[in-house]
Amino acid sequence: MSAVATVSRISPARSSSGRLHWLRERGMGASVLVSALAAAFGVILVEVTAYIGAVLQADPFIGDSETLAVVVMILSVLLVAVAMYVAAMVTANTFSTIIAGRTRRIALLRLIGASARSQRAEVTGQGFVVGLIGAVIGLASGVGFAALGVLIGESLLGVGAGDFTVLQPGVLFPVVGVALTTWLAAWIGSRRVLTVTPLQALGGSVERTHDDEAGRRGKHVGALVLIVVGVVLLAAGVVLGLITPLGVVVAFFGGLFSFTGLATASPLFMPPVLRLVGRLFGRGATARLAAENALRHPERSSRMAIGVVMGVALVTMFAVALESVKALMMRQSEGEFVDGFFAPMDAFASIMMVLVAVSAVIAAVGLVNLLTIGVVQRRRELGLLRAIGMTSTQVRRMVLLEAVHITVAATLTGLVLGVAYGWIAAQSLLGSVPVLPDYDPAGLVYPAVPWIPVAVIVVATAVLTVVAAVTPTRLATRVAPVEALAAD
Amino acid sequence: MEITTSDLGLAARVQHLTKTYGAGAAGVRALDDVSVGIRRGQFTAIMGPSGSGKSTLMHIMAGLDAPTEGRAWIGDTEITGLGDVEMTILRRRRVGFIFQAFNLVPTLDALGNILLPFELDGRQPTALERARIDSLVERLGLASRLAHRPHELSGGQQQRVAIARALATAPDLVFADEPTGNLDSRSGREVLALLASASRDHGQSIAMVTHDAIAASHADRVLFLGDGRITADHPKQSAEQIAAHMLAAEVAA
Repeated sequence: MSAVATVSRISPARSSSGRLHWLRERGMGASVLVSALAAAFGVILVEVTAYIGAVLQADPFIGDSETLAVVVMILSVLLVAVAMYVAAMVTANTFSTIIAGRTRRIALLRLIGASARSQRAEVTGQGFVVGLIGAVIGLASGVGFAALGVLIGESLLGVGAGDFTVLQPGVLFPVVGVALTTWLAAWIGSRRVLTVTPLQALGGSVERTHDDEAGRRGKHVGALVLIVVGVVLLAAGVVLGLITPLGVVVAFFGGLFSFTGLATASPLFMPPVLRLVGRLFGRGATARLAAENALRHPERSSRMAIGVVMGVALVTMFAVALESVKALMMRQSEGEFVDGFFAPMDAFASIMMVLVAVSAVIAAVGLVNLLTIGVVQRRRELGLLRAIGMTSTQVRRMVLLEAVHITVAATLTGLVLGVAYGWIAAQSLLGSVPVLPDYDPAGLVYPAVPWIPVAVIVVATAVLTVVAAVTPTRLATRVAPVEALAAD
Repeated sequence: MEITTSDLGLAARVQHLTKTYGAGAAGVRALDDVSVGIRRGQFTAIMGPSGSGKSTLMHIMAGLDAPTEGRAWIGDTEITGLGDVEMTILRRRRVGFIFQAFNLVPTLDALGNILLPFELDGRQPTALERARIDSLVERLGLASRLAHRPHELSGGQQQRVAIARALATAPDLVFADEPTGNLDSRSGREVLALLASASRDHGQSIAMVTHDAIAASHADRVLFLGDGRITADHPKQSAEQIAAHMLAAEVAA
């Protein structure tokens, strides 16, 4: 037992240059950043919700409009949950990638007597610290932004909010939530520690590929049940929607369940999509290597892709639902609506899209991180490729294609899911609404896809891809061919 | 008119090569005015203790590193002063590499690795090259392993795939850096025999850096380096002779 204690004392993570020196390890910064972003986002939304509540209460005409406050609160909770979920996935990915890079050290410590569980506990502890730092930074910046916003609101718009204060106790929910989810994410991401064997310290082992998730279907039973229940509820919502607008409530839970299931089971269904997209790149050497790299760690790539999928699907869903509602209303009224009628709806859609975009930013940070660590951990392989004749232009193209691979697969999946969910939302809400010419119920509504938001999504993800690839491509092209010969 | 490398019967050569790391008094001189040629169709071993400059010499000869002073040729092409792209394409088409470890791309199967230099060149092997690759695969006993990925192959099999890749393009010169360093002695002997036969039976020029006397005894010629200079140049020698030479050099140092 004392051996274990000694081992953990000499482990580099706790050695000489301060207890927190592991924070400088590549990837940790990104984890702090995403948890800070998620926490700040949550804090700001809590503040906005409270502020709107206060404004409404102070307004003598609207009075206690409970409904609006409740709707805003539900939306805030949903948006924060999505942001936290994406942040947690980025963190889980980061930790599993960091551990892949630490394999040798962990194996050495295992060899001289450390237990796998103590090693994992160390990593999880680091996740807790990262989450804590991120949450505190998020709290401070979120409250700061809110205070600034209130000042601007009062001076510019002249809106009074009574005795509103930015020190809302509610801000503790997202802050504590982010700290805990980061901790949990680090624990999930560190599962790999348990698979490191002392033998791996002896070297000479060649990297295995495609081993992360192969044949682990059993793990996803819960997710599959969620998907089935969700799909049944979605169908029920649509059928019920033909009779009453309350069908949308049933469909809402169907959407929640099925999407959670899809996100959890992403390692099952994302790799086939990734493989399909990889085929589109053609058979050239760089394209093929890029496609293989994106599938090298299917679990990581899938988790990464699902962050982008969520953002794209939510934005598309709002856009499609709104467009379908508009189309139906046009039918109902023979197109006599003036444009002004739709203005509040469009404004709402825009706000939702901007808010969802925060999750997309978090996903982008994760993508940069994934690609960068991937390049750093593959230095010898890149050196080998350079030595046997890959030009730096080809290296750059390969790394860029890796990023393209993940975002294209994610965007396509997100668009398909978004159109489906958006149509179901509109259908379940409005299937029973009477329309012209003879005021029969609308029945089945065709999904209306608004092309401008779709174009914006495609352009935005293209930009995201290019931006995310800047640092990794620069690092990759800097690898010298001689690095293939490095002893270790 | 200058005498070309091929006029001299050489596959590669260097002239007055100097390489220093760092500057001034603190600088380390890894190579000190080295001039040497690798003969065409021969299996040459480059030997020396760590720090003798043998790896630096190989890096420069193979176009992986640039010298501080001096000139280097692969075939009749002077490689000193070539840009990164020209150099890369030259390595791709005219040089083969076999490393001590991490020779293969883990995401590609054995055949994918063998064909990689052609694919990087954006082309399929010609019928002639295809026949050459088929016979290589046959000779190296890889026929049943072509669809395997590196992690499914033993160390010796991985090294044979690397040999197939290095020989597939019929390069001017194959560089091997401690190719047996990570192998057990039997696989090591197999690899050395394969290299020797590639040079003897197929006229392949090979330069192998090693500090292992047994490995060097498979070569047609043994160059000894010490302190950045060539200290001896012997025709084929037994492992005992080579070991004795190395020991003497170490005692003298």
